[in-house]
Amino acid sequence: MEYVKLSGFRLDGRRPTEMRHIHAEVGAVANADGSASFEMGNTKVIAAVYGPKEVENKGQQIGNKALVRCEYSMANFSTGDRARRPKGDRRSTELSLVIRQTMEACILTHLMPRSQIDIYVQVLQADGGTRSACINAATLALADAGIPMCDLVTSCAAGYLNSTPLLDLNYLEDSAGGPDVTVGLLSKLDKVTLLQMDAKLPLDIFENVMQLAIEGCKAIANLIRQVLLENTKKLEYLRGT
Amino acid sequence: MRDLHLQQLRLNQTQRVRLQTALQKLQDVSPSSAAATVAVADNIPVNHEDGVLKGHGTSELDGQVVATLCGVVERVNKLVYVRTLRARYKPEIGDIIVGRVIEVATKHWRLEINFSQDAVLMLSSMNLPDGIQRRRTATDELNMRSIFEENDVICAEVRGFQHDGSLHLQARSLKYGKLKSGQLLTVPPYLIKRRKQHFHHLENYGVDLILGCNGFIWIGEHVETSNGVMEGDGGNKVEESNESSSHSVPLGEKGQRLMSLETRQHICQIANAVRVLSTLGFSLTTEGILEAAKASISLGINTKDMLGAEFHVQTAEREVGRRMSLLRKKG
Amino acid sequence: MLQSKSFMKMTRHGRAVKVVREHYLRDDIYCGVQYCKVCDTKDARLGSSESTILVVDTNVILHQIDLLENPAMDDVVVLDVVMEEVKNKNLSVYNRLKALCTSSQRKFFIFYNEYHKDTYVKQMVGETSNDRNDRAIRVATQWYQNHLAGSSRVLLITNDRENKRKAIEEGLSAETVESYVKSLGQPGLLDLVVVSSSEDVNVMEVEETRPSKRKAIYSEHKPMSEITHGLHRGIYHQGKLRVNRYNPFEAYVGSESIGDEIIIYGRSNMNRAFDGDIVAVELLPQDQWHDVKKLSIEDEGKDEEEGVHLVPGSADDAPRGTVPSAVPSETMNSTSCRPSGKVIGIIKRNWQSYCGSLEPMSMPAGDGGVAYALFISKDRRIPKIRIQTRQLGNLLNKRIIVAVDSWDCLSRYPSGHYVRTIGNIGDKKTEDEVILIENDINSRPFSMQVLACLPPLPWNLSPEDLMNPNRVDLRHVRVFSVDPPGCTDIDDALHCTSLSNGNFEVGVHIADVTNFVHPETPLDKEASQRGTSVYLVDRRIDMLPKPLTEDICSLRSDVERLAFSVIWEITPQAEITSTRYTKSVIKSCAALSYVEAQARMDDSRLMDPLTTDLRNLNSLAKIMRQRRIERGALTLASAEVKFQIDTETHDPLDIGIYQIREANQMIEEFMLAANISVAEKILKHFPLCSLLRRHPSPTKDMLEPLLRITASIGLDLDVSSSKALADSLDHAVGEDPYFNKLIRILATRCMTQAVYFCSGDLSPQEFHHYGLAAPLYTHFTSPIRRYADVIVHRLLAAALGISKLPPVFLDRNQLTSVSDNLNYRHRNAQMASRASVELNTVIYFRKRPTDTEARIVKIRANGFIVFVPKFGIEGPVYLVKRGEKSDWLVDEANQRVTKAGSGVNYRVLQAVKIHMEVVEHQPNRPKLELTLI
Repeated sequence: MEYVKLSGFRLDGRRPTEMRHIHAEVGAVANADGSASFEMGNTKVIAAVYGPKEVENKGQQIGNKALVRCEYSMANFSTGDRARRPKGDRRSTELSLVIRQTMEACILTHLMPRSQIDIYVQVLQADGGTRSACINAATLALADAGIPMCDLVTSCAAGYLNSTPLLDLNYLEDSAGGPDVTVGLLSKLDKVTLLQMDAKLPLDIFENVMQLAIEGCKAIANLIRQVLLENTKKLEYLRGT
Repeated sequence: MRDLHLQQLRLNQTQRVRLQTALQKLQDVSPSSAAATVAVADNIPVNHEDGVLKGHGTSELDGQVVATLCGVVERVNKLVYVRTLRARYKPEIGDIIVGRVIEVATKHWRLEINFSQDAVLMLSSMNLPDGIQRRRTATDELNMRSIFEENDVICAEVRGFQHDGSLHLQARSLKYGKLKSGQLLTVPPYLIKRRKQHFHHLENYGVDLILGCNGFIWIGEHVETSNGVMEGDGGNKVEESNESSSHSVPLGEKGQRLMSLETRQHICQIANAVRVLSTLGFSLTTEGILEAAKASISLGINTKDMLGAEFHVQTAEREVGRRMSLLRKKG
Repeated sequence: MLQSKSFMKMTRHGRAVKVVREHYLRDDIYCGVQYCKVCDTKDARLGSSESTILVVDTNVILHQIDLLENPAMDDVVVLDVVMEEVKNKNLSVYNRLKALCTSSQRKFFIFYNEYHKDTYVKQMVGETSNDRNDRAIRVATQWYQNHLAGSSRVLLITNDRENKRKAIEEGLSAETVESYVKSLGQPGLLDLVVVSSSEDVNVMEVEETRPSKRKAIYSEHKPMSEITHGLHRGIYHQGKLRVNRYNPFEAYVGSESIGDEIIIYGRSNMNRAFDGDIVAVELLPQDQWHDVKKLSIEDEGKDEEEGVHLVPGSADDAPRGTVPSAVPSETMNSTSCRPSGKVIGIIKRNWQSYCGSLEPMSMPAGDGGVAYALFISKDRRIPKIRIQTRQLGNLLNKRIIVAVDSWDCLSRYPSGHYVRTIGNIGDKKTEDEVILIENDINSRPFSMQVLACLPPLPWNLSPEDLMNPNRVDLRHVRVFSVDPPGCTDIDDALHCTSLSNGNFEVGVHIADVTNFVHPETPLDKEASQRGTSVYLVDRRIDMLPKPLTEDICSLRSDVERLAFSVIWEITPQAEITSTRYTKSVIKSCAALSYVEAQARMDDSRLMDPLTTDLRNLNSLAKIMRQRRIERGALTLASAEVKFQIDTETHDPLDIGIYQIREANQMIEEFMLAANISVAEKILKHFPLCSLLRRHPSPTKDMLEPLLRITASIGLDLDVSSSKALADSLDHAVGEDPYFNKLIRILATRCMTQAVYFCSGDLSPQEFHHYGLAAPLYTHFTSPIRRYADVIVHRLLAAALGISKLPPVFLDRNQLTSVSDNLNYRHRNAQMASRASVELNTVIYFRKRPTDTEARIVKIRANGFIVFVPKFGIEGPVYLVKRGEKSDWLVDEANQRVTKAGSGVNYRVLQAVKIHMEVVEHQPNRPKLELTLI
């Protein structure tokens, strides 16, 4: 299958280093402390954050920092075939864990001891790159909830098909079976908090692909920062003095 | 303000345009605090020579002060901190808050107050119904449920943090205590400013309004506590049990007092005014609330229609006018 | 960058799934015209001077690709929508189109109309996707016309009348291919134009004038939907049609659904299917399984020709089991019971271009205008093809290439078009060329880009090479090579020194080709495509350019050369105690031929060091060989023929069986050992991406013919394992000396071909090499002439940490496709060599009718197939004249034919006297005929 055409266009008309159309918005869930929706092309995700709040299960309470929990789910209507998705299957357990660990790396949990932060992410529409979209949505929601974080963690994937590094794979490219590198980046600190790939790739190519994903993360970080700033300004001026 | 709520309003085309113009004007008239707003991981410019005290919502990275929250940078002398907008309640000593009892425990109640933990109200920090200052006996402990039960809404004051980090409340005044016959609204805490006065008796309506600092707002039937309570904040006077006020009110089937229809309507009216303002993201002050309520009456808008699109737009427009005039007065 | 979005919804069948895909439209797609003032002209390649820009539609490309490949057609815009349609319809045309678009010599430009914001066309309600694509083509043409605004003419080329009409209505200029080509004024080009009968009125008229033309000769193909339905329900069977090489009216379809081969008799049952087509077959009623056979043969008896194919098809294209006798034998034996069927539809065409000549015909009277001619392919499996030409006179005695365009049920023959001329019939060069083309061998000179990758000449060992810590200096070692006489591409050399502990150090030094051929360079890509050098009788088609093949890489004597060495320490008992792999520098002291080496070893007077080395090696090799045979390696035999070629006329002067000497076996033994050592090493380091070579064990079915033959002469072969087979072959000694060899040759025929594969694709048990009885095997020793060895060199270098593994190894699919290509090229190279031998045999015997002895190897109803040991020739001998009723009876069990009523019989392996003579039953198809004396 040809994923990159002769003069370098991808099947959806992007060039290899172009991301899909991104739209981010804060405030998607009314009753949550913080919430956001994040769209990368046809991938649409919402995230809701509750907390910091009293730990529900006292046994899990941590004396010197906050407990972070995460639940990932996929809406039944999120893919082409409407499938009933059992809760807690392997994939969503894994993704929940990945998102939790990634977010925990940036939340200043020590500032909120003995409390709990719940992150719920749900995929409304899946078209590849859900992992990244979930992390980006969760970041936005956490920032919206006013939870202190050392940096904005953003995520982007890049793949390698037809000997070309491709940024932000969509479902079609994702299902080609090539390597898919998902990077989670703290762009200010320039630290990687997530790096996943389940294929083999030579080191030098891997570096290129990862660099591309990092560039994508940075672009997303800029966008998320803009969205947050805009939102803060709006809240501020509406409130009045 | 949550865009979400506005989206649910079903604005028609003209209303949408009007609302947008109003919001745009608000943005224009607001003092340029834009420079001071930061998002997570933004640098906060500081003059290091003067010495900097890093406050809430800041951290240091490579010698730079970096925000860890989204909000507005505030500077008080050397202290630099980020005032968050949307966040959970941050208690300060002396804050008047409204909370809900979630647990009756030994010698204390646990209250949900929109903080990262539940707050504790010790039996000992509580005025007993008989109003006598004395040691709490075992009987008192057994009778705790007769004071507050689970799910009761109560009003109290922040006493402070204990050494174990838990937040303690106190209710050593008759103005504190259980709140009955009314509505509890929750709004984002940043909309409520700390003021001298958080208890308000809206005389025209016969309604009490408590703006809890934690974003819980109580609107209930006016309760006569004492003469001076509503005026001043010196709630040390301890007399006249609240039973006296309830004598005049007819009792319902189960011994509950029945509220007059008018009062109920007033409660709803005020509550909806609060809802409208909070949906629009305007700060909640007594004046603002009263003005909104008044406007609804003068415009002949039914209480139930206050939550409709038109009233929102009008409220926004009125707010523009109010702020413009304020600005003019200043200028 | 502007990105606007629109959605495309698609419904896949099976389960209705809604697929929503994004489609970004952009404004940074340029027109590709060099003088365009608006666009970025960096990648522009169209029209340097102001000329006509052609926009072609899908059908034009699909049908007229031969025309487009002609350099006269240029400044062509290929739209993205067209590319996609071509890709979906015909992959081979798509690849040719891609080659055109990327070629720097041609002015073909791909315009991505689907992604351009102004030319994207949304499918309208009720519009078929075909109509939508046609509209997209017109919109894009329109865009070009407006964009270039008169600075050049934009012409839409379409053969679709409706499309053309609409285009003209929309104010575009549009023409059919034919009228455009006519306007170019090059009559030769017109022959390349495919004329579709349904579209061209002129042809219709011509056809009308021919008598009996309107009668349907073949039955209609069933519609695709019906076929799929039928396949699902098991009424029809799908498979690849393979035409019998000996009888083009008999074909087989291997069907998985019934687990057997379906036989298809006669052209009408084949129903226009070509060899290699994927077809849908309907079984005939069981009672017709018989009749059909007779019927079909009589039906088309006039076309019937039992040809001679001197060299039989290899195991993979000869039908499994026995070839069914043309006339049923008296008993209903298993062969005649096999299901027969008829083709009811063609799922995928395998039309290619074919080499051949025109059927001789008298020049039509009148002008040299359009004439029709019948083309006869060299490949007998292909039916005659009707073509239209304006240069009949020129073509009559030429070998030409013709492509097939269509075959409707009204015409007896498919119609095609002339592609190009190869040369005069009978000319040796032309015939060689035909062989190459038929086997898809690229014999074009290397391109400039490829040659640019070569190191500057004259090449000499550079100090850097010596400084390289990975390269060991072995120039002081006495290295020598042994090759066939006249060999110029010497890729292996050896040394053997005695060590103080009594052991020997033996080194195999292989030309270090990868030092010059770097991955992903044009040179590497070209070599990878060619896959192997091809050896014809008097010509070699190199895989690598000549300077590499014959000079820089060739380990000639007395020059310093780079090598990749495998060095063992071997005990006098030929046990390998240690193995070392290294890049090296060597200086060969002698390039011997096998004959010379043998002579040196045999000449007991010679005691020089080189001869001693040879003798030591030989004694080691003998032990190793013996051990290998004990392990169960098969000593198979094939009849390799050697020609002596006249240096001036290039005609064969003499023909004989290639003689194998001890020296050959000695070299072979060490090469095998080196290959095995390398295979072990690379597999250890790269268990998933090594390129190995395996030889699958033959299945019972495959050995069946051999067993039947041996059983009939009372010989019992044990085929349970390669060891058992090897032993029983050793014991199969008959009364005459040639018997054993003959059995071995027959056994070889039953084997499958050894193939390259990627180690990640199979499980380790399947890596086995049956013939060599080695668990692992690969090719390492001939990198100059085999690309597989180049790959293995790279793997070994990476395993040693000398260089990095090229990325191709990490993509298993890519590696698999490389190994598939190598297998394909390897097979083609073998076929070409055989065809070349066959050609030379015919030339040789043309002047020398000969009587000789032959052995019967196969029994048929109307004759038998004989093998001529002296010349390595195989061919049929007929006992019955064509068209006559056979009165010979086949006895399957005893493998003999008996003439009814008389005691005359022939059995398999029997020696017979035959007469060989070249005859030309059909013009331009000379063949060697064998007749019984």
